[in-house]
Amino acid sequence: MSIPRPKNIILFFCFLPLLLGCGQKDQKAQKTQTVHLVFKHGKIAGDPVLFRNLLDKFETDHPGIKVKDETLPASTDEQHQFYVINLEGKSSDFDVLSMDVIWVPEFARAGWLRDLHHLVPEKERTAFFSGPMEAVTFEGKPYAVPWYIDAGVLYYRKDLLQKYGFLPPTTWAELVSTAQTITAEEKGLYGFIWQGKQYEGLVCNVLEYMWSNGGEVMREGKPVLFSPENIYALNFMKDLIIKYKVTPPLVTTAIEEPTRHIFGNGQALFMRNWPYAWNIFQREGSPVKDKVGISTLPSFPTHESASTLGGWQLGVNRFSKNPQVAEKLVLFLTSPESQKTLALNIGYKPSRQSLYLDEELIREQPFIAELTDVLRKARPRPVSPYYLMISQIIQPEFSAALSGIKTAEEALRSAQQQIEFILKVDR
Amino acid sequence: MKARNNGTPFVLPALVLLSLITVYPAVYVFYLSFQRRLLIFDLSKYVGLDNYLFLLGDKRFWNALGNTFYFTLISVSLELVLGLGFALLLHRTFKLKGLVRAVVMIPWIIPTVVSAKLWEWIYNTDFGILNYLLGLKVNWLGSPFWALNCAIAMDVWKTTPFVAILLTAGLQIIPEEVIQAAKIDGAGTWQIFKRITLPLLKPVILVVLIFRTLDAFRVFDAVYVLTGGGPANTTETLSIYAYKVLFQTLQFGYGSALSVIVFLCVGFFSLVYLKFLRKSNL
Repeated sequence: MSIPRPKNIILFFCFLPLLLGCGQKDQKAQKTQTVHLVFKHGKIAGDPVLFRNLLDKFETDHPGIKVKDETLPASTDEQHQFYVINLEGKSSDFDVLSMDVIWVPEFARAGWLRDLHHLVPEKERTAFFSGPMEAVTFEGKPYAVPWYIDAGVLYYRKDLLQKYGFLPPTTWAELVSTAQTITAEEKGLYGFIWQGKQYEGLVCNVLEYMWSNGGEVMREGKPVLFSPENIYALNFMKDLIIKYKVTPPLVTTAIEEPTRHIFGNGQALFMRNWPYAWNIFQREGSPVKDKVGISTLPSFPTHESASTLGGWQLGVNRFSKNPQVAEKLVLFLTSPESQKTLALNIGYKPSRQSLYLDEELIREQPFIAELTDVLRKARPRPVSPYYLMISQIIQPEFSAALSGIKTAEEALRSAQQQIEFILKVDR
Repeated sequence: MKARNNGTPFVLPALVLLSLITVYPAVYVFYLSFQRRLLIFDLSKYVGLDNYLFLLGDKRFWNALGNTFYFTLISVSLELVLGLGFALLLHRTFKLKGLVRAVVMIPWIIPTVVSAKLWEWIYNTDFGILNYLLGLKVNWLGSPFWALNCAIAMDVWKTTPFVAILLTAGLQIIPEEVIQAAKIDGAGTWQIFKRITLPLLKPVILVVLIFRTLDAFRVFDAVYVLTGGGPANTTETLSIYAYKVLFQTLQFGYGSALSVIVFLCVGFFSLVYLKFLRKSNL
């Protein structure tokens, strides 16, 4: 009996790009002397023509360089997988790559990225927000340039807060009492929704509570997850569901989009999400048009609010045949002009701080000014080549604490032990 | 004899192709499973049985193994019982038989990922039709107790038609005369089913069991799309765990060891079934 095993199929496809790659290279060499760059990235939001226009401008500015942009699958896991398989195979089929904020240290450690410290000299680094700059820096050197930025924000229903005389909450306790008061009056309204399914987004959510209580995951390369601050924060999240009942249990299966739908239908008072949802809420026909406000996430008393940093960074493939030319493209796409164009046309939030003072940008997208503070405070998830392994350990433990299989204390102790174990091996 | 030997060159291309795309990768996975290989640290060394020893103490592995066995046992049993029921119904002659047969096949035709997405909506706490019909507010996929059972329900819905169709084919080869003879001898419906239909159907049932057990044991797409292994790994099957270790945390050595375990389990099941099958053919 021969039964196809998924493993075999996967391995087969691992080699497929290599085979295909060989053919492409030969063709390139035979053509003219024009340098062809390949730029790999995730799906660009909105009309693809707008992004192509930007690349066309680069081609006009730099005669003799042609840029081919290739879109990867929408799921970030699949993009990660694509890069890993191809970079491990030392593929030179793409020159510039866009990376999620959590990948850079891992790829840099593996030796897959070109050191870009000369592109962003020391004094220029402050031009970017500190969060993304920290995330692209490995062993003191930047291996990518921050392209655009994302951060967790609190959405609230302006109209309802006004009706009941509340201000946007600044502490978690205020959020709970506001939500309890208003949901008692408004039938069928959820208090506060967020993302609690076992996936990367859960880590983003939990860290915001831990950080805003003074907790951390790693300090100076050592895990410090098992701490009273973190136990308190994780317990509070569970209490949102069980004790205070402001969060419906459905969040334990929710990722971004389902929560966005619920809030967008006018069925929730507060929501934690990324800034992308704002433009959707403001569309014609949206039930919550002009009723939504956005602010920094609350914090625990005496601590500062903290948002998890998201966003994408541009790096150069170390196996690229034209690294200098590829660097030019990175510089161009991360320049203030390009970031402004992307912000105006597609709504990507610039990683350069100066653009948040740009008059035209503020006029066109007034809410960008409200975001400045959130983005400045946004914190990267632990910057470590081990991050993806750490995330795989903490996702199920956080999920276990939220669904009541373990206490927060048990979950964090177990996570701490597992992280200590993987850090010990191969050091 | 000579004619048989002449066939070799014709089979050769297929053999070469098969060994390239199945034998070589399979052997390579075995080889990898004896290595400690971490791509990001450029680490690749022979560690003997270390991965397998680590596996013995890995709670997450035992949890995944337990989930996989539970999933396989419950879903395959339900599918067999329901599939047999459907097959007996479909075997009778009635109006619109063709139409009913086609309708029964629909769940099997829908791609797994699509049906997983459909079921994700069915199970949705707020908007899902299941809670609407039951008048409840159960958080199906978020509950450690329900999540895996929900995945099983989806799998049963999806694969029962496959079982039913195979068994219907099996029923059609049972000679009508045998059943009529039994009737003349005064056997009741139950007796006919137990003494004639079931024994004659046994080879087909075994084939169905082989297919379904092996498929269920390697289940990945349905559960991965439905829950991603959550909440708290209560729906994480061996294939999902292996995928996460291999492609999300890039531990190729340990991930391969997990795959080898799946392979060994599946191989063991096939051997047992094949033995039964050979016996029943005698």
